[in-house]
Amino acid sequence: MTGLLRAAALHVAYGDVRVLDGIDLAIARGEFVALIGPNGAGKTTLLHAIAGIAPLCDGDIDIDGHDLANSPRAAKQAIGLAIDPPSLPALLTGRECLALFAGARGLPAIPAATLTLGETFSLTPVLDRRIDSYSLGMRQKLGILLGLLGEPPLLLLDEPFNGLDPRSALAFKSHLAALVARGDAGVLLATHSLDVAERHATRVVLLMDGRVRHTWNAAELVAMRQHPERSLEDAMAEAYEG
Amino acid sequence: MTGSWHPAIRADWLVLRRTGAGAFLRMIAAPVLLSGCCAALACGDFHDGYGWCLAAGALLALGGSYVIAHRRLLDATERWRFGWCGALPAARGATTSTLLLASVAALVVSLAFITVLLFAVSVSAPHHADFVYAVAGIDLALVVGTVAAVMRVFHSGVLARSHQADGVGEPLLALAWLNDARLPHLLDWQRRAALVRWRRGGSPVMVGIVLGVVPIGAPMAQVAGLVLLVLAWSWLAVVMRASADAFAAAVRLLAAVPWDVRSARLASLRYPLIAVSCALVCVAAGTALLRHGGIALAWVACAAVVSARPFVRLARATRSVDPRA
Repeated sequence: MTGLLRAAALHVAYGDVRVLDGIDLAIARGEFVALIGPNGAGKTTLLHAIAGIAPLCDGDIDIDGHDLANSPRAAKQAIGLAIDPPSLPALLTGRECLALFAGARGLPAIPAATLTLGETFSLTPVLDRRIDSYSLGMRQKLGILLGLLGEPPLLLLDEPFNGLDPRSALAFKSHLAALVARGDAGVLLATHSLDVAERHATRVVLLMDGRVRHTWNAAELVAMRQHPERSLEDAMAEAYEG
Repeated sequence: MTGSWHPAIRADWLVLRRTGAGAFLRMIAAPVLLSGCCAALACGDFHDGYGWCLAAGALLALGGSYVIAHRRLLDATERWRFGWCGALPAARGATTSTLLLASVAALVVSLAFITVLLFAVSVSAPHHADFVYAVAGIDLALVVGTVAAVMRVFHSGVLARSHQADGVGEPLLALAWLNDARLPHLLDWQRRAALVRWRRGGSPVMVGIVLGVVPIGAPMAQVAGLVLLVLAWSWLAVVMRASADAFAAAVRLLAAVPWDVRSARLASLRYPLIAVSCALVCVAAGTALLRHGGIALAWVACAAVVSARPFVRLARATRSVDPRA
């Protein structure tokens, strides 16, 4: 596995409130890292800091060999951040929004792989409708497509399963698993769905008060899957108390 | 929930208090400017006895109060019904009653302000006695304009639907090549945002105001020329503000994407520059109809005033993206 993300000593604060307090995190291609933790732990801020949209007070981020502070454009070529549904432009259609992102990424058109994933999500029939007519699930699917557009190797996903119907959620999990298995991408998923983290992640990181409280590696997660009496939920509860 | 006030008005009040004097000044700027323009027109009667100046002031008050009240009511309605406070447990009819009371309060303050202003500018003028007619005409126009806006908002079913969809359609003349391939559909975004904003501002009233201030007996060609100039100016002002807002939203949306900042800036200017070109064609036609070349220069000066801030915002929007990108 080759290094894709290396974040060292990340500090982020909003005014007097420290949100990230010395986070170290590394992700390689072929890794599926799930970020779990209570509300306000700093999961979303960590994703935004790695994507270059949350200002760092201190720390270094290196993405696919490019320093985010010194070469943001090169570093961001390797990032795919799924867009939060409320941030989508209501006045554009889904297809126009995809074309906007494709153009911004320097692509001549919407990639066929993106349209194929849209077909899998059953989003194709509504792609020519304005986004303000979309349901939450449709917006979530479009936000995912925008994050995966251009097949960037580092995928940053913040609760992407919210609002997805079970069929689309399954298709998306399979898609992510295939990308990771092929070693094409590394995934950083912020989620409260412990079952997703337990079943699909190769590493789970518990974030609390802006710090990494505990990490479960692949062997520990395999052990949890093999023993029904052990679960990530219980392990997390123990880590909370510890 | 037993109160007849919509709970969002308390949140709006807290936001206004915490954002300080700037937000308050932005809130009162348009009504104060309107009052100032009406008083300035009324001075033509107080000092020189031009009765038509009072009529022009009253028409301006009518149109201006309609435009301001219509837009603010639509904004508040949309925010209260479809924004974060849309699910608050408001009493039945609270939105309507609160907006009505807020409109009445704003109207009373405006009437008091314009009355004091008219008294101040007329007190030492030769035709001081016309103060009564000025107050009666302009105050009545303010009332009629506000009532018309309230009736339009509450009787056209807008309280039951979202306005984002208003005015969003395909252009009459679709020119795909106008879109910048580096940021496709940014131009469509800016155009649709401008159209939504234009329709919210009560644009048909602008025509009425222009026609109203034209002296009786003026040649039709001059009337048409004046209408063209004023419409081009007000349309350009709307387009510039909407374009800057849409581009700022695009910058936020694409914050994690490796786009080229210089290309983005150029792409963001396409629609505003097309709008300026179209407006200049209207100005050329208007100037030809008026047969007064100097008025084009005045128009350019007025256009520069309304375009300066949006242009600065367009240039600054990409500042959040690292310049080394």
